[in-house]
Amino acid sequence: MSLSRTMALLRKDLQLGPRSPIFLWALVLPVVITLLIQGVFGGLFEPRPRLGVVDGGASAITAALQELPGIQLVRYPDAAELKRRVESHNVDAGLVLKPGFDEAVRAGERPLLELYFSGESLASNRLILAVTTLDLVRAVAGQPSPVAVEVVQLGDGAALPLADRLVPLLVLYALLVAGVFVTSFSLVEERETGTLSALLVTPVALPEVLLAKSGLGLLLAVLMAVVTLALNGVLTSQPAALLLALLVGAVMSVEIGLLYAVLAKDIKALYTLIKSLNLFLLAPVIFYLFPDWPQWIAKLFPTYWFLDPIFQVAIRGASLTEVAGTLLVAVFICLALVPVLWLLARRAAV
Amino acid sequence: MNRPVSRLAIIAAIIRKDLLEFSRDRLWMILTPLTLVMFTAIFWLMPYQVEETVTVGVAPGALGRALELLGSPGLRLVAFASEAELAAAVAGEQPDAPPLSIGLAFPEDFLLRAARGQPATVRVYVDALVPPEVRHAMTSAVREVAYTLSGAPLPVSLLAAEEVVLGTDRMGQQIPPRERFRPLLVFLVLMVEALALASLIAAEVSSRTIAALLVTPVRSADILAAKGLLGTVLAFAQAFLLLLVTHSLGGNTAALLLAVLLGALLVSGIGLYTGAAGKDFIGTLFLGALFMFPLMIPAFALLFPGTASAWVQVLPSYGIIQAMVGASHGQGFVELAGYFTSAALWVVAVFALGWLALQRKVTSP
Repeated sequence: MSLSRTMALLRKDLQLGPRSPIFLWALVLPVVITLLIQGVFGGLFEPRPRLGVVDGGASAITAALQELPGIQLVRYPDAAELKRRVESHNVDAGLVLKPGFDEAVRAGERPLLELYFSGESLASNRLILAVTTLDLVRAVAGQPSPVAVEVVQLGDGAALPLADRLVPLLVLYALLVAGVFVTSFSLVEERETGTLSALLVTPVALPEVLLAKSGLGLLLAVLMAVVTLALNGVLTSQPAALLLALLVGAVMSVEIGLLYAVLAKDIKALYTLIKSLNLFLLAPVIFYLFPDWPQWIAKLFPTYWFLDPIFQVAIRGASLTEVAGTLLVAVFICLALVPVLWLLARRAAV
Repeated sequence: MNRPVSRLAIIAAIIRKDLLEFSRDRLWMILTPLTLVMFTAIFWLMPYQVEETVTVGVAPGALGRALELLGSPGLRLVAFASEAELAAAVAGEQPDAPPLSIGLAFPEDFLLRAARGQPATVRVYVDALVPPEVRHAMTSAVREVAYTLSGAPLPVSLLAAEEVVLGTDRMGQQIPPRERFRPLLVFLVLMVEALALASLIAAEVSSRTIAALLVTPVRSADILAAKGLLGTVLAFAQAFLLLLVTHSLGGNTAALLLAVLLGALLVSGIGLYTGAAGKDFIGTLFLGALFMFPLMIPAFALLFPGTASAWVQVLPSYGIIQAMVGASHGQGFVELAGYFTSAALWVVAVFALGWLALQRKVTSP
């Protein structure tokens, strides 16, 4: 086996790759899916209160609202625009602070508090925005609080927010699109167009072709998984452990891609195979979304063994030592797939 | 020897042939039911109601009942006998207690102290996952309760109750995620069938069987009509099935079905175009996806609160999606006329585009 020939094949694939729709899919889809899924599910199931403000006189209330975490503040130029936005539920509530509002409050003139709520806003968001605003108004009035409030946090935050539980889905998707799709389509396409047969009558050997195709999928899979983790803001302080877990994940994805490629007789059959078996590969992610489900079931799926180390390192900040056992199982699966692949590839003559 | 054959019989014969080919295509025979099952499962797994209240534990219990009088529709109070029990419930250590992430522990003599204006300390127990705006709101609420009990007047006057809420008040009747997702799922099913039609056409174009048909009494218009009809019927049937199994045929059923039919026609037009324009199977899929993403945006926009931007409203699928939503809520044809008109115009334009692209392929040497 010649490394220079393998590298030449890989260079060719890297140069021609961007012309393929699949290559573009692998680059674009993980980004699009991340934005869509985090946007849709983050916004739909964990909605944050949004408050529109018209401030005619640099009120201290607006300044205080801006400092508050968790409330989205949007400024509007006039009351008519604010009411329109509130009515169409672009914001949950709207606050109009006329010029001299703060001064009137301090002077005890009891000015009108124009706080409007959208008919479509959740009752909980109305409550949050109303009591927060009233509290700030009382602070402006200088009323001493009749009570001291002490906040006691319980639990260690072991339960994760939905945004974090969605990360395994997104990172696995990035690995599979690049590792499985790109590798398998590239190989089957070459076989269908006959360029593979032409290549094999030259000094290039079958293992060199398989290695070059694997290299392409591997590079792209690791790259897109890193991009996905970065987009989700979970690139960890344990880069070595994360990179190793991603690398193992990319290797297994590429091997699955090669397996599909040797099993499918043409592009359409390959697409059928991918669409049918993807559920099996993606199955472990459901157990991260529903942590109350029996977690041992996730371990029945091969992708779990690299996905869990990625999750533990990226989300929970685990070290390499802590995930070594799981990662070793993934490495073992990768190694076990090599002879299977080799036999199938030879039998199918790719 | 030449028996005249009606155009309808020819179109029916082509549709029969295409259906046979479709049934032999393993990809679409797997993908079509899989999509239906998957989308039905997603629909039923989606939450069917919107949780719009914050549940708060209060100790001591007697005070909880007193505070209930000051309650708000967004707040549900659960009374606990002691602070220790409350803290255990928030920490998740009380299996009998309802799931709770916030608890307010008042001193036993809080009511008396507040009424006399004497200082008191209230402990707010929060789970680590409680978002910051809720923590802040709870401390504000505790202060507001104390202000109210101590008789401190509000430093502002408030709007009249009927002026406060703008738009239809949906409190207690929020649209659940399941309902919001329905148009998107229907549209995705339609798009899958568009891809199936495109794939069928692409295969015929590449194998030149479509052109071979023209040496028979079949005219290009027959082929186009047959493909368009097949795509529309397949897409409509799938979407109808999804509506059926998700119990979504309520509201104004006739208007809903018209909206779905327009959607089926639209995706059929796209199928004709992508099938004719795509070089091969992957090219067809890629082209289909290029159409699919922008067309899904109006359905995605429903998932977010607020009015869709102006540019979303000019997308071909916007009228169809809005008509579907309106019909589900029982709106009539007159109220939905604008959406139906815009959808119909887009259907004509897209179908014409697909028709022209396929005609070029069929008649080109």
